Amino acid sequence: MIQDTLMVLFHILVFPGLLFVCVCGLLLAGIDRKVLAHMQKRVGPPIVQPLYDFLKLMGKETIVPQAANRTVFLAAPVIGFAGLVVMMLFIPVFGYGTFNGSADLIVLLYLLTIPAVALIIGGSASGNPYAGIGISREMVTMMAYEFPLIMVFLAVARKVGSVGALSFSMLNIEKWQQVNGSLITHWAMIPAAIAMLLIIPAEVGTQPFDVAEAETEICEGPLVEYSGAPLAMFKLNTAVRMFIMTALFTMLFLGGITTGMVWLDAIILVAICALVTVCTMTLLHGICARLKIEHLFKFYWTVVAALSLLSLALVWCGL
Amino acid sequence: MFKKAIAKSMAKSPWLYHINTGSCNGCDIELVACLTPRYDAERFGFKLTGSPRHADIVVVSGPITSQSKDRLVRTLAQVPQPFCVVSLGSCPRSGNVFKGSYSVEGPLEKYVHVDVSVAGCTPKPEAIIEALYKAAGILAEKREAMTK
Repeated sequence: MIQDTLMVLFHILVFPGLLFVCVCGLLLAGIDRKVLAHMQKRVGPPIVQPLYDFLKLMGKETIVPQAANRTVFLAAPVIGFAGLVVMMLFIPVFGYGTFNGSADLIVLLYLLTIPAVALIIGGSASGNPYAGIGISREMVTMMAYEFPLIMVFLAVARKVGSVGALSFSMLNIEKWQQVNGSLITHWAMIPAAIAMLLIIPAEVGTQPFDVAEAETEICEGPLVEYSGAPLAMFKLNTAVRMFIMTALFTMLFLGGITTGMVWLDAIILVAICALVTVCTMTLLHGICARLKIEHLFKFYWTVVAALSLLSLALVWCGL
Repeated sequence: MFKKAIAKSMAKSPWLYHINTGSCNGCDIELVACLTPRYDAERFGFKLTGSPRHADIVVVSGPITSQSKDRLVRTLAQVPQPFCVVSLGSCPRSGNVFKGSYSVEGPLEKYVHVDVSVAGCTPKPEAIIEALYKAAGILAEKREAMTK
């Protein structure tokens, strides 16, 4: 009994939970900045720079503006972070699942909105007009990527499920990939994988799709009034979202390459996540300027939605 | 140990906020040049932020005109502790060629304690980076003094 409780605590606080996501998220954010610097022929900050940023912000004074709702303003980043940690417990590390049930994908879909909603309520609690613009843009961004994301999840669930049924269980998806090969090797799933790769930067909020936090035009939008520890939490949230989204992509499309040893699997997962981060977020950041919000919305509801629907149609036809 | 790590991080990740108080734009361009790939101030962790709430080092350029004085004082009041002030160029420290003008209310020392001052009209990017680096060191000292 005590052993079970300790194991659950270990899962939540150390291995697939809190500590693991923080370390991997900060590492990925550091790799992202370093690779981007090299793409621009710069030396760039050290890999541990996001950790320095986090610790520095922890040591700064926290100012709560007079117009803000104090409780909501300070609770929002923590809620978002809690949502992210819970999300990681639903994503198995190549077969090593923690909280897995029969409807993981649906739970994940709900949990994915929590960090974005935390940003929205935190921004709206700060009472700043720049934050007002930022949250309206964040909401539009959410609406833009949610629809293709649902279609991608449906395509995966249909492909993995037995005849006439959908399988939303992450462990099932992982087992199916161990038997039939990674989903990306099935050609009908390739458009969905591309769509998912394009959804990742919008979900995380990196350069071409960072309209909500455009620091050069609306002073980082919802974060404009944040300082000190709450800002550190939001910066950590962005870094962890990077890891969670790439890990989710890895589990959905590149699963089934388990070695049997959990620690080795975890290292492989982080390596693949770093590769996906560089290929999607860093590359797009390096070559694209920031989009306007209407262009972002149009892009997601035409190109990305078409890709995911194509995959869904192909899978539904039994390919 | 945790306090030491925070003080060390203060020196490694200073974020800049830039206030132009009637500058001719020369110093502003040189400051931006420091962040470009050629000088790459980001290798020391410097980053330009859009909000004074995120700032660690406030860089002030310009001779402080009567129009911008109030805004300067109000913006500096919004920066969370600990922070450093760097005066950029000759204008904020002496008034430069604008000294004695009816609309200039410098120097900057009248309104806030200046930690590092770079002279020149305009200063070289190398000099600016050195000044910012020194300011980052002062930032860590200020943090240590705060926790004692």
